[in-house]
Amino acid sequence: MKAASFIALALATTALAAPAMAQETFKVGVSVGLTGYAAAVDRAWRDGLEVAADYVNSKGGVRGRKIQLVIEDNKSEPQEAVTVYRKMISSDKVNIFISGCVSAGNFAAAQFVVRAQIPMMLCSILPPQPDQVKWAYSFLAPPRFEVEKRFAYLKDKTPIRKVGVLHDPSPYANLQKDLAVKAAPDYGIELPVVEQYKQDDADFSTQISKMESAGAKAVLKIGLGGSTVTTAKNIKQLGLNTLLLGSVDDLAVFKPTGETLGNQFLFVAAPAQVYETLPEGALKQEIARFLPLWRAKHGDRDAVWAGKAWDALMVTVAAIDKAQSFDGEAIRAAVETLPPYQGTGGIYSFSPTVHQGITTNPFFMATYENGKVMVKN
Amino acid sequence: MTNSPATISSKLMAALRHAPAIAAAGMVAYAIADGGYIVTVVGFGLIYTIFVAGLNIFMGYAGQTSFGQNAFAAIGAYASAVLTATYGWPPLLAALAGIVATAICAFVIGYPTLRLKGHYLAMATLAIGLIIYEVAVQWQSVTNGYMGISGIPALGIGHYELLSDRAQLIFLAIMAVLSLAASWLLRHSRFGRALVALSGSEDAARALGINVRQYKLTAFIISAIYASISGTLFVHIVGFISPEMIGMNMVILAFTMLYVGGIGTTTGPLIGAIVIGLLPESIRSFKDYQDLVYGAALILILIYAPGGIASLDQVVKKLLRTKAPAKEVAP
Amino acid sequence: MSITTGNILEVRGLTARYGEVTALRSADLDLKEGELIAVLGPNGAGKSTLMRSIVGLTSASGDVRFRGELLPRNAAAVAARGIALVPEGRGIFGPMSVEENLQLGAYMINGRGEDYERRLSRVLTLFPRLKERLSQAAGSMSGGEQQMLAVGRALMADPKLLLLDEPSLGLAPKVTAEILETLAELNRSGLSVLLVEQKAPLALKIASRAYVVVNGRISTEIDTKEITSHDQLARYYFQ
Repeated sequence: MKAASFIALALATTALAAPAMAQETFKVGVSVGLTGYAAAVDRAWRDGLEVAADYVNSKGGVRGRKIQLVIEDNKSEPQEAVTVYRKMISSDKVNIFISGCVSAGNFAAAQFVVRAQIPMMLCSILPPQPDQVKWAYSFLAPPRFEVEKRFAYLKDKTPIRKVGVLHDPSPYANLQKDLAVKAAPDYGIELPVVEQYKQDDADFSTQISKMESAGAKAVLKIGLGGSTVTTAKNIKQLGLNTLLLGSVDDLAVFKPTGETLGNQFLFVAAPAQVYETLPEGALKQEIARFLPLWRAKHGDRDAVWAGKAWDALMVTVAAIDKAQSFDGEAIRAAVETLPPYQGTGGIYSFSPTVHQGITTNPFFMATYENGKVMVKN
Repeated sequence: MTNSPATISSKLMAALRHAPAIAAAGMVAYAIADGGYIVTVVGFGLIYTIFVAGLNIFMGYAGQTSFGQNAFAAIGAYASAVLTATYGWPPLLAALAGIVATAICAFVIGYPTLRLKGHYLAMATLAIGLIIYEVAVQWQSVTNGYMGISGIPALGIGHYELLSDRAQLIFLAIMAVLSLAASWLLRHSRFGRALVALSGSEDAARALGINVRQYKLTAFIISAIYASISGTLFVHIVGFISPEMIGMNMVILAFTMLYVGGIGTTTGPLIGAIVIGLLPESIRSFKDYQDLVYGAALILILIYAPGGIASLDQVVKKLLRTKAPAKEVAP
Repeated sequence: MSITTGNILEVRGLTARYGEVTALRSADLDLKEGELIAVLGPNGAGKSTLMRSIVGLTSASGDVRFRGELLPRNAAAVAARGIALVPEGRGIFGPMSVEENLQLGAYMINGRGEDYERRLSRVLTLFPRLKERLSQAAGSMSGGEQQMLAVGRALMADPKLLLLDEPSLGLAPKVTAEILETLAELNRSGLSVLLVEQKAPLALKIASRAYVVVNGRISTEIDTKEITSHDQLARYYFQ
């Protein structure tokens, strides 16, 4: 009974406290996996949003309202995501969601968000239901871009035509794997070996040897994190001259991998990661707006996901300005009619039929040599 | 005599015995009245009540261990999801198909594994949970892998659909009450007594004429059906299912609820599910320290009410007994 | 020894092993209808194994006949024939109420109905103390009361043959005497009883015959009337 009444009391106090400062702010709900598997990306997403919100607020906010972030940890679990989304819908009454990369969590909550008529800007891929896609915008580049960039590099710059695929079982990696299998013939590339691994596997020698003996001279690595470093170490241990082609990831992963394999390791780099080598232009300008603010607060930390979060908030602000309204439906519709928006992660061109904004390949192929990122294409 | 302290305290005790369950029911009522996001939290709590009530039959009554109950929730959840979203079956029919599939699976799995005892049974059931999880991930043509299945319709029969949060919560409350009532009837039946008996001593139970293996298997299947029903309810409320939702975290959560609520008691699953469901919400304002406070609260509960909150009256009784000298000593 | 129709229980060549250890070697034993006999022997001699093997709780080899019919090696089926065991350590179900324990005793008749009420009132007459404690958790009772419950629960099955494994274990002498007196009374009313007991003098007071088990073998059969002193008994144990 004690515990129950304690909980009731605690609930009552939070319920009373919540609506106190509801006025004059534009509330952005942020469902992020601050703990669990998504933590690395989602913490960066949250931190990027904070930098972006401070920036917008320092310029007077949006249409006279300050931006207020409501950040909830979904522990990278879908059920928890449903709970925090619904908390932000009914208790915090957020105006929009700018949520992290836990796809299943965003999918699970989508029907409730749609019912509440709140637009959602996502770091993840889009939910599968058409009525949910209507309210959701993805700031992720289409997964095929990461694959195509690497195939194009192999085709244009190397004689390698046989490639092994090494991917983890996450939805995003699986999707990329399927795209790779489909796209390979267009680049005259064969994929004799396609192997799946688990994120916590500690050795990929078997898979790599298998690829080597099948004649594959490059490994298309699909999946985030330390497994890329492990793959590099295994290639080195086996004494192979196989190229390792990494997918978009954090600089914290690229550095040790590059230090292991040198120019044998190439990776798909996002614009913010090769900022110094970018030519002058709109892209460099936009990154220049964000990067100093980010570095002032977070130093050397990779800015890719934080930059995307920045983009998501900037697109939101642009949509509100265009709609001249804070209404959910008005903002949702305005995003579809915005002119192409130059962000730090590429150009976002949303339309009624396109809710995944990046439509031209924004990526670069790069190496990490002698302590520096070098663009290779 | 009616005014003697003994009588008053025994009346108080009787009231105290039901207090935790009444408080939990009160929270459900509060959620129905309030209608905010607490509806979601309590809704999940009620779904877990059913899941844990099933686990309680197998673990609390029959004294066995299963770390694989998520497997059966998964079968129910995916049967409902696939049959309604992909093949357009009515939810009730899909749920029944899920229950039948679960019962068959539980039989096939339980028949060989229930020969095992203690840690071996625990390990075997743990494996089942992991296997079903892998199936959900790998059998992409049916389960859609990690992408999950969405577009699962709300619960309903014919043209009646439970769309509003309140209607859904009331329905879940009814289902939870029915589950607990069935669990109570079962516990107080010949079958239930036999389960508790075999949990105490299998040999003593056998010597009374109880077919221990058959009863264990039956209890396992019943608990699996509870899990299946909870899985079905879950997918219809959320409208989405992916493998991450039926992983080991479900088992850990259910175990916490079972022990916090009171293993072996009929209302323990409700109390545990509501308390464990609401606890993180009531301390959400602690932000980064939320997990820490949650852990500390759990430890405190289990230290001061080792039999779970449902047996809080026992704790109070013990406290009173140490304060006042015992009046009668059993011979 | 020839098979006579007057025996309620006949054990022939009963052998039980726990892995490498043979706990019981080729045991032979007879119990006449209406008789109360004791099985004596030191701790670990195999007395409990003998009892457990008779009711089918071990995977023993050999024949056990009940009223001339071979018993299956399945405890539940043995119980259904009308043989009730009060196991070593009582085997009562602590978390359950006294009443539920008694209901479980009458498991074969579902623990309710007219038959059940009749048996219940008989047991409660025999052990009035249980009547006061019907709704109490069995585990919260004293050792003596728990033993009464264990016997009462076995009687709820309305058995034709009652087996008791060390009912005196952990009980005060006064309580043990009380329980053994009840057993003698039950025996006088016609119930056949096989009593395993380490405390031989107590058992010999109420038994008509006794078997002595040493090192897994039934070494001797004694007529209790012949025993007059402790010395004599000790000779049987250590011969």
